[in-house]
Amino acid sequence: MTFSMKRVNAIFQKDLKDILRNSAVSLTASMPLIIAFVMGKMSDDIAVDGHYMVINIAMVTVGSFIQCCLIAEEKEKNTLRGLMLSPASTLEILGGKSLLSLIAMMIIVLIGAFLTGYHPEQIVVIAIAILFTSFFFIGLGTLLGLLAKSVMEASVIIMPFMIVFGFGSMATMFADKYPILKVMDYTPNTQLAAIAVKVESGIGLGGVWLNFGIIALWIIGVFVLTSIVFKRKRMD
Amino acid sequence: MENIIEVQSLEKVFANETALEDVSFHVKKGEIFGFLGPSGSGKTTTIKILTGQLNQTGGKATVFGEPVSGMKKGESRKKIGVLTDNSGLYSRLSIYDNLKLYCVLYEVPEQRIADVLALVNLTEEKKKVVSKLSKGMLQRVILARTLLHEPELLFLDEPTSALDPVNSQHIHSGLRELKARGTTIFLTTHDMNEAELLCDRVAFLNKGQIRLMDEPGKLRKQYSDSTMTVELKNNEKVVLTSTAEDAGKMFDFMSSNQVVAIHSNEPTLGDIFVEVTGRKLS
Repeated sequence: MTFSMKRVNAIFQKDLKDILRNSAVSLTASMPLIIAFVMGKMSDDIAVDGHYMVINIAMVTVGSFIQCCLIAEEKEKNTLRGLMLSPASTLEILGGKSLLSLIAMMIIVLIGAFLTGYHPEQIVVIAIAILFTSFFFIGLGTLLGLLAKSVMEASVIIMPFMIVFGFGSMATMFADKYPILKVMDYTPNTQLAAIAVKVESGIGLGGVWLNFGIIALWIIGVFVLTSIVFKRKRMD
Repeated sequence: MENIIEVQSLEKVFANETALEDVSFHVKKGEIFGFLGPSGSGKTTTIKILTGQLNQTGGKATVFGEPVSGMKKGESRKKIGVLTDNSGLYSRLSIYDNLKLYCVLYEVPEQRIADVLALVNLTEEKKKVVSKLSKGMLQRVILARTLLHEPELLFLDEPTSALDPVNSQHIHSGLRELKARGTTIFLTTHDMNEAELLCDRVAFLNKGQIRLMDEPGKLRKQYSDSTMTVELKNNEKVVLTSTAEDAGKMFDFMSSNQVVAIHSNEPTLGDIFVEVTGRKLS
């Protein structure tokens, strides 16, 4: 498989120009910031879980929802076919399409964390954890975008995933009453929050490898599925 | 002459429907090959198979001597250009920005944009946002994008279907220019005039089968009844054959200055298509 950073950058530049003219996307991207702003104003001492509610919402909104809509729009307008027929490889196309969502997600996460006043104990471990988890959210958005036939359909099919991966960690509070909700303990967003809680208590990278491992399994799963779906979509 | 495309007994079956059945043809280097047929006859399916967008269920197809499965590779894609009815553009970007993206993807210099825009008569409109373009202009931008990397082989699916006569002529002259430069063109159309004007050879496709294939001129001669219609000053129309008796009649009409017009009754490709398939082109 070939890889040209120039091609990835060209797709990124195109998406950037396109997205700046897309008011719906800008509005969606600002939603986590509004939540972060309100939370930041409501309390000076937000718990780690509170910070991660904002971070996870930012990741699922920008990383998954916007990515899903960008891919679905390419399909709806038959522009993805043009990219697929060009010399660009799968990796270049999906890499280029993901780069914008990744950068936008990181910016929104950073601003959100600033607004809620989040200052992690070990910033490097947290940065690695957030970057690592972001691959899952981008992959999820790509997968659902490839499955959707239009932007409208994409914005509907992603909703359950936004609830599970954005707000799912809150559901674990009811796990005693509804044991099925214990499943939520193993979702990437809950694992990310768990890493943050451990880090706050002084545990380093060595103590959170299991959490990273669980997130890695989610990433592998979503990327394998995305790769299969993309190859099938490449052919009519 | 080298064959760029070779197709033998190609077959495509979708669920319960046969889209292509025992289709065989070849396209020589530098020729314009017309694939003619009504909507749903299998033209686009053939293009999709030849460009690696669809797998055939039977038969053999090669492009540049390689099986069509190889068309998924980046290097093979640089040699071909594909314009289909479902080619899309980025509607919020300008014409120029749309083409600029493809310059990078195909590794061609940005200066090439000016050449292709001139070819499709859109030089003045390059800064226009795609969402503001008419259907005909969109078609021309897609064609410009298809030509950007100067492909050796062009697949054009109804390239002038949305264009007015002036722009169609402009595109036709551009295609002739490409042919003169050695580009091989696989053209699907249901416009028989376009096929007559451009194609070196044509194949009539009907219900997934090739019914006839030859040079347009040869087909017209083959199906001609060797008659002509003479319009006279008294509004009478006389059909004459190539017999000595009718030659005498023609001499009389002309010597008595009665002739207004003489029309050849040679059939058009459209007439031949209807005769061969019993179907009209639409």
